[in-house]
Amino acid sequence: MTATKFLTLGDAVENDEFPAVDLALRRGRHVDRDDAAWFGFLTDAADVLEPFYRRFGAELVYRADGYYYLLPAGDRLAKRHLSVAEMLVGQALTLLYLEPGTVEQGGRVRREDVLAHLATVMGTDTLVRALNPKRRRYDERVAQETVRARVADAIRRLTALGFVEALGAEELKLRPALLRFAEPVRAAADAGAALSKLVASGELALTPLDAVPEGSEADFDDEPGTDEAAERDGEAAPDDETPSETPAPPGATSTAREPASPGGAPSAPVVQFDPSLFEDFGFEDVAQEPDESEAGEEPE
Amino acid sequence: MTDPSVAQEPRRLLENLAARGVSLELSTLDLCFVAALRLRSRTQQLTSFSEQELGDVFRDVCALAQPEAASVARRATAAIQRLRDQRLLSRVDGAGVVRSGAYALTRLATSIVDFYSEEEALTGESLTLLMRTLHASLLELLEQARGAASEREFSERVAGPLRVTVRDLVDGIERRQRGLDLQQERFQHEIGQLLRADWFDAVARCQELLEATTSTLRELNEVLLRDAHALVTLLEDIRELAEERRALEVEAACHRVSEQLDRIGAWGSARQQAWSEYYQYVHRYLRDVVRLDPTRALTERLRAQLSGRAGRSFSLIVATPPPLAVPRDVTAPSDRPAVERPRVERERPLTEAAPDDRERALVDGVHGALDGGARTLSAVTEAVVATLPPEERFASAGRVAEAVTKVASAESARERSWQRVDDGIWIEEWSLEREPKDA
Repeated sequence: MTATKFLTLGDAVENDEFPAVDLALRRGRHVDRDDAAWFGFLTDAADVLEPFYRRFGAELVYRADGYYYLLPAGDRLAKRHLSVAEMLVGQALTLLYLEPGTVEQGGRVRREDVLAHLATVMGTDTLVRALNPKRRRYDERVAQETVRARVADAIRRLTALGFVEALGAEELKLRPALLRFAEPVRAAADAGAALSKLVASGELALTPLDAVPEGSEADFDDEPGTDEAAERDGEAAPDDETPSETPAPPGATSTAREPASPGGAPSAPVVQFDPSLFEDFGFEDVAQEPDESEAGEEPE
Repeated sequence: MTDPSVAQEPRRLLENLAARGVSLELSTLDLCFVAALRLRSRTQQLTSFSEQELGDVFRDVCALAQPEAASVARRATAAIQRLRDQRLLSRVDGAGVVRSGAYALTRLATSIVDFYSEEEALTGESLTLLMRTLHASLLELLEQARGAASEREFSERVAGPLRVTVRDLVDGIERRQRGLDLQQERFQHEIGQLLRADWFDAVARCQELLEATTSTLRELNEVLLRDAHALVTLLEDIRELAEERRALEVEAACHRVSEQLDRIGAWGSARQQAWSEYYQYVHRYLRDVVRLDPTRALTERLRAQLSGRAGRSFSLIVATPPPLAVPRDVTAPSDRPAVERPRVERERPLTEAAPDDRERALVDGVHGALDGGARTLSAVTEAVVATLPPEERFASAGRVAEAVTKVASAESARERSWQRVDDGIWIEEWSLEREPKDA
């Protein structure tokens, strides 16, 4: 990128857009041309911001598809990997983004199209099992309700990350950052090599999702939402996608959320609350058992 | 400043329509019939149709739309009646029963047909022409307004043309706007169809469609920006003159036309904004998706990945807000102990106890009493129960009688006498004879 406007970091930091863009990037937001002001600012300031974020151990990435995002590589900025539901919904949205039919609507899709597309591609049974991983046997109605709730939740999280934009209650506008979900399969030659390369660069982490439990021996009680709490915002249940079980790629750590310790020094024995745990408060679609491990909401 | 009567107009209209129970029910055949009449009146310059001509047209339409239909003449009669009932066809000769009638399509019928047949879209050329005509009309009206001597003359010269000519012109622009909206919708659909059918080969055609609409919209906006202001200024001049002459009717008409012009302007900018977004989106799609994936292999690979048929599962890594640090010592809540009770043996251990064979004791007591010389049931019972606790005596009396019958023969008088044994125990008396022990 060539910066045309900002010659020094000071100029960029003093710009009115900087605080909002900086916060958004640190929250995992992908910024594309639809965020006209932010995108323009990043385009102009990329040359001075790239070294700035590198000092935090993060990479300000620009993709040719037309979006920016921040990729934490070290342990100074917190990072997480997307949950199973977010990944599945993200890939389904990407497929819809690539569909010629979506072009007719100017990149707009209805929320129910996402779930329908997921069910078509994966098969209803596989989808239900993927989103109800702890359940050996399940009540069909309860499990499908859980799937709907998780998909809605994943869409909300992907919206916050800038992959889609909510247009009213029913419509979504698909954004170019969705193509990030297709990165591993872009190369025609060797998808495995491309995947390894992306893992090595810290873009993604391998997950044990491909071992979607087919009749696992986990306990199950027929109540909706009992294991939903476990998957909030990437905080997956042990048999779901526990980060500690995730094969650690170079640069990746063993936790889904990596709290930043100032200066990298071991911090005092303080209790740390993850703000993203607060995101679900009051917005659940299905009744849930109260879970003390996830109360509250991050003010957005 | 809105005239309250004007504000109530929509309500009155709706009330009126509801009260009259107005409705339209047109089958495809009816619609084709009306369209055929409209087309024939245009091509043959007909102002009305005789009953014979109506029947002929219906027969032609029927042969085309429902070739298998029978009783065409009767159907024609019914269709003509339906159209008349719904005020799509009216009798115009006024001859009554004297001779067969002449019929003409109403404005409602022609509007319906025009909607389906014309779809006239707004173009830069037509908009410029309409705007110029509108401008000329308003200039003339302004001159008329200035030259009007009295209030009545003012209303006659200005109000009529403003209400009819000018509004028709503005309505014409709005109608063509709707045509352009439909055209855009068709283009969007066509772009989708082209990509579905030809994918990479459709890029050039898609770009042509995009460019055509974009240039049309740009041209329209330029015309609107250039001319709308001049039109509004002219209308304002007329309105001021109307205000001076207290011509309320003209003032209200100016206000309505002005609102229509504002709507047209807003439509132009809204459509250009919307199309601009669509244009950018499709261009980005063509560049980033279609050109980079000419064989649609990416979609297939992604589909395989999502369905779990290919590749390993992965998860994207994103930045996330750091956890909030709470600067105080917090004792993590200990696990709540489960509710339980002390483990105890449910079965109590057995203890040794002397046997309590009451039945045996009772039988022994009976034997003892008989051996002691008792020869009546009352004497035996009294002797046995006397050794028992008071609460067991009554219940034991029956068992004593049973034991007695086993060891002695009992006799009784025909009229058995009742004999008191103990407090609360009266029994019928038996006389007993001890049986030999070997018996």
